[in-house]
Amino acid sequence: MNFDYAQLFSAAIPETVVVITAFLALLVDFIFLRNLPARTRTSLLATVTAVGCLSAIAWMGVSHSTYRLDDAIFVVNPMTQLVKQIILALTIFTAFISVQTNFTRHLGEYFILLLLASAGMMFLVSAENILAIFLALELLSLSLYVLTAFNKQSVFSAEAALKYFLFGGMSAAFTLFGLSLIYGVTGEMNLTAIAAKLAGKTTDPLFYVALVMTVIGFGFKVAAAPFHMWAPDAYQGSPTPVTSFIAAGSKVASFFILAKILFTGFAGAEGDAGWHHYISGWTPVLAILAALSVIIGNLAAISQKSVKRLLAYSAIAHGGYALLGILTADQKGFASLIYYVTTYALTVIGAFGVVAVVENYGGDKLSDFAGLSRRAPILSACMMVFMLSLAGIPPLAGFFGKFYVFTSAIQLGAKSLGLLWLVILAIAMSAVSLYYYLQVLKQIYVVDASDKTTVSVALPTQFVIVALAIAVVVLGCVPNLLVGKILAALSLG
Amino acid sequence: MKPVGLEHYLVVSGLLFCLGLWGVIVRRNLLIIYMSLELMLNAANLALVAFSRFNNKLDGQVMVFFVITVAAAEVAVGLALIVALYRKKQSAHVEDLTTMKS
Repeated sequence: MNFDYAQLFSAAIPETVVVITAFLALLVDFIFLRNLPARTRTSLLATVTAVGCLSAIAWMGVSHSTYRLDDAIFVVNPMTQLVKQIILALTIFTAFISVQTNFTRHLGEYFILLLLASAGMMFLVSAENILAIFLALELLSLSLYVLTAFNKQSVFSAEAALKYFLFGGMSAAFTLFGLSLIYGVTGEMNLTAIAAKLAGKTTDPLFYVALVMTVIGFGFKVAAAPFHMWAPDAYQGSPTPVTSFIAAGSKVASFFILAKILFTGFAGAEGDAGWHHYISGWTPVLAILAALSVIIGNLAAISQKSVKRLLAYSAIAHGGYALLGILTADQKGFASLIYYVTTYALTVIGAFGVVAVVENYGGDKLSDFAGLSRRAPILSACMMVFMLSLAGIPPLAGFFGKFYVFTSAIQLGAKSLGLLWLVILAIAMSAVSLYYYLQVLKQIYVVDASDKTTVSVALPTQFVIVALAIAVVVLGCVPNLLVGKILAALSLG
Repeated sequence: MKPVGLEHYLVVSGLLFCLGLWGVIVRRNLLIIYMSLELMLNAANLALVAFSRFNNKLDGQVMVFFVITVAAAEVAVGLALIVALYRKKQSAHVEDLTTMKS
């Protein structure tokens, strides 16, 4: 067995750049920045991060190579490159939102972990092999556990990290056990070969155990109900930029890999979740998760007092909507899934960015947002865009995302409206969600402020939040900017 | 006497996994929960090795080495998190992980 290392290296250049940037950030911080004030330090390190990530994005934009390492351990095609670019963009936004907060002195370590987590996501996106998927998933998860615990002053942070770790560890064990059974049934490690071997074997009881275990494992990862228990605590306790990264980047990567495992590895075992023509397979399992997620997420969010916790429950609900895109089990649904999670990620990073700013003046309770429109008009306008987009109000990106996912779920030609029950449930629940998003906006625009001081925002953070708000509006008005790219990448890949 | 076959390994592996899961759910001490988590991972390892042996392929055993390494890294992170929590709360019990429920 011999392969071309030069070719492997040139395929993995984006990942290499990100890892080098990670160590560079640590080094720069140790050697030059130790004695500077915290905010300058963070800004400079965020700039280093941005330069590294942007050069990786640019490289992927220029080179259009495809690559497939032996046994599909590392796969590069237009689709993976597009998702990696999205993930790196989310990393840059997170880095600049961190400028606003002041939770740690160990900034070099913070940025290296942030970048290693992104590298983990990139490898995850490129993995089509059980071993590679597990390793990349663990690289991502371990970095996120530590990031969650990064605020050493706060007892919440340690507690959140521990809960995240316990549930994450359990999810890893479930995933690994499921994948090992699949390896046992098929004797293969890479997803395409697994699908080929599985053809005709899908009645094997061992396969169903494996399927359920894998879906449970990833259910924890994407925080789909009933495996969502960790999410509210982890979201609330982590430092806010980390929360936004968990909600955005990790979600995009996890949904992408879940879809890939199910579409590529378990192709032929879809089954049918339609109302009167149930066939066992993975779609009925996911349909249950999706239905529970939209119900539990939206109903629990109503009674929350902490905005971070509210956004956590809303993230569970949005996970449910996104699962609808996977349920379609076809390329069109896949495109809608990618569009949905990307726009959701952009929106939620912006929303958490606003929370990070407000947190400096008290906390993340709903009452801390009272009268924000008088204290920070621009920020409030951005928050309005984010909240309305999450609720799915046209013409914002969140509306088109939901519309795209729902229509692709309904338009499953042969299965003729089988998923209609789930789509109706999702639409009804999304109407419920409007209530709690408007609660936040009511606090911002209607309720009077107890504290009248103007809110000062670090310039990079302000810039990123405004840019995200503009992106949400633009992607809502001209969705083809992103949809076109996804469809082009799909047809090439 | 019947020779030991794949199904025997799978039964043991399944039992180990269930024991681990039981421990994670029932036990109240964080360290014991960690040990149970490790048990779940090792159940998967056992299954991988057995499948690898009976499929006459080595890649399952290769994967086990990676899993063991990752598990070690996971323990390092997990213990650090317990220490961080212990410093704040002087406790390593799950009952004390409830400050955030509003």
